[in-house]
Amino acid sequence: MNLAIEAESVVKIFGSIHALDGLSFYVKPREIFGLIGPNGAGKTTALRIVSTLLKPTSGSVKVLGRDVVNQASEIRGLISYLPEEAGAYKNLSGYEYLEFMAKFTIEDKQLIRETVEAAAKISGLEERLKDKVKTYSKGMKRRLLVARALMTKPKLAVLDEPTSGLDVLHSVHVRGIIKQYVEKEGVTVLLSSHNMLEVEHLCDKVALINKGKMVAEGSPAELKKEANASNLEEVFAKVVGFG
Amino acid sequence: MVKDLFNIIVKEVKELVRDPTLILGMIIVPLILFPLMGFAMQTSMKTAEESMRNISIAVIDLDKGSVAENLTNFLITLNVRIVEVDDSNLTEAVNYVQQSNLTGLIVIPSDFSNNITEGSKAELDVYTVFRGGGIAESTSSSAISALLETFEERLVFQKIGEKFPEDPETVLDPIKTSEKSIIKGKSVDVNPGVLFGLMMSQSIGMPIGIMMLLMFAMQLAATSVASEKEEKTLETLLTLPINRFTILAGKLTGSIIVAVMGAIAYIVGFNYYMSSFMGVIPAETGVDLAAIGFAPTPISYLLLGISLFVSLISALALAVSISIFAEDVKGAQALVGPLSMLLIFPMIFMMFTDIYALPFPLMIVLFAIPFTHPMLASKVAFTGDYLTAVIGIVYVSIFTIAVLYIAARLFGTEKILTAKLKFKWLRRRRRMPAEEP
Repeated sequence: MNLAIEAESVVKIFGSIHALDGLSFYVKPREIFGLIGPNGAGKTTALRIVSTLLKPTSGSVKVLGRDVVNQASEIRGLISYLPEEAGAYKNLSGYEYLEFMAKFTIEDKQLIRETVEAAAKISGLEERLKDKVKTYSKGMKRRLLVARALMTKPKLAVLDEPTSGLDVLHSVHVRGIIKQYVEKEGVTVLLSSHNMLEVEHLCDKVALINKGKMVAEGSPAELKKEANASNLEEVFAKVVGFG
Repeated sequence: MVKDLFNIIVKEVKELVRDPTLILGMIIVPLILFPLMGFAMQTSMKTAEESMRNISIAVIDLDKGSVAENLTNFLITLNVRIVEVDDSNLTEAVNYVQQSNLTGLIVIPSDFSNNITEGSKAELDVYTVFRGGGIAESTSSSAISALLETFEERLVFQKIGEKFPEDPETVLDPIKTSEKSIIKGKSVDVNPGVLFGLMMSQSIGMPIGIMMLLMFAMQLAATSVASEKEEKTLETLLTLPINRFTILAGKLTGSIIVAVMGAIAYIVGFNYYMSSFMGVIPAETGVDLAAIGFAPTPISYLLLGISLFVSLISALALAVSISIFAEDVKGAQALVGPLSMLLIFPMIFMMFTDIYALPFPLMIVLFAIPFTHPMLASKVAFTGDYLTAVIGIVYVSIFTIAVLYIAARLFGTEKILTAKLKFKWLRRRRRMPAEEP
């Protein structure tokens, strides 16, 4: 079976810091795969390598069968990446921002309009999309960005803390949208999150990483069973060392 | 690629044009500030003219002779208000002049009329009240001496007239010179002084305009890259299916478009400012530069345009390459700021000197700075020295290709995300006042 992501023994060194230290993980198509770990574990570095922003120091990463180093531009046409602290162009309106982004992957004008309309529904921003992004709250901006990441129905969506800064209701809405895009549009999702409840409800498979290495992997149910824990937070604390 | 480039350019221009701080600094300030400065200049000139018309002079006449009387009458005919002052005490008279807001004081000594009639040198004591350093003050202070010089000329004319009653004017000014200029080996019926004035107005304006344009462009390009980092939009942009060079080219083009708008605003404002107090020299002299072969030809305009274009690209590429190392907009501006020296340095030399007359090492330094060349091209455009302009274009093009290559390389690697020059000393300095108790 073709895998959506094959990361093998990935090492990434920044100066004297080993951000990733031989990390390996595999993501199947149409799977929601969660990377969890404490701050500085290497989650964002891993997501950035998969998104072709960084090159691994050693090891190999294949996304949808393509190598992140040699076939980066091909991969960029198939994926969409939502960084954790991403922003949008503050002097553009929400509509203009979505349209600007859609034009890079879609040629047909009618299709661009439909895509932007779909994004408007995902974001739930409605009339506020006509306003400039600089007038948006943090949560509104995040909804806009999640909509941008999913609107083009990428083969792989790489989402770093997708619900960061959102209130409970909007978090639930965004999680529902992510599930819907996986089930209906066949999108594969690689995400990282600090919210264990979110990971438990959303992910088919979870990799727990610490200090750039994989320390546990499995479905949320498997991980809970192995660690004899009632929820993923307990698993996390036990595996990382606070248990 | 063209579609993506156009998409980025439109976004860049929208972002830049809608930035209120940028619009304020680039377009509104020059369009309001310069005309305001011009208005202030015109007002002070008018005040100076008014003060020339309302001159009041105190006179202590110790002579009471006919020439002294002629002098006071002459001043009265020129609308000068004469205030006769008591002749006993000079200190009191000086005090009175100061307090009564008079322009000055003329003391006519007792032998004044006698000396002039006898043909000896006569003396006058003139006191001018010093009130400040403005234009109005300086004109009123020179007014008294100007009036006395006119009176002196009248006296000389009278004396000459007594000896040569037929044509005293020819005796006073026996030679009439007719000044002409030689341009490109041809004699032209134009005073070289007038021509020089015209050239000066061009050679000062162009380097300033070019410097302004390049400086705006550099700041814009640096801001455009750094704000992507500051607003955290760069990461998303770099994962889109677009060629990195397209992103770079889009940013450069967007910056050029907005910089040109800003430069036009500056030049319009600056021209208004200049014309408000310099007068319209070319219209008055009636010299048609094109007719005497002293105006830019289509070829020189083309060369100047190419020179400006390649310099603009090199300035932008330089600013982008440097701003990649900044974490935020402030950092980028701090990094690009020193580059403005590369613009100011040649501009000053271009405005006031002939580059070829400078000491050799200095000349080499100036030629090595790429931004000297468009300014030089603006000068040689008038003289028809196309070769200098072409050599400059070739040099700047090579420099531009090298810098663009570096910028593209940096944009293509992960350095654009990971390179961070922190300005710890700058931040510490900014924070210091707040930390003080």
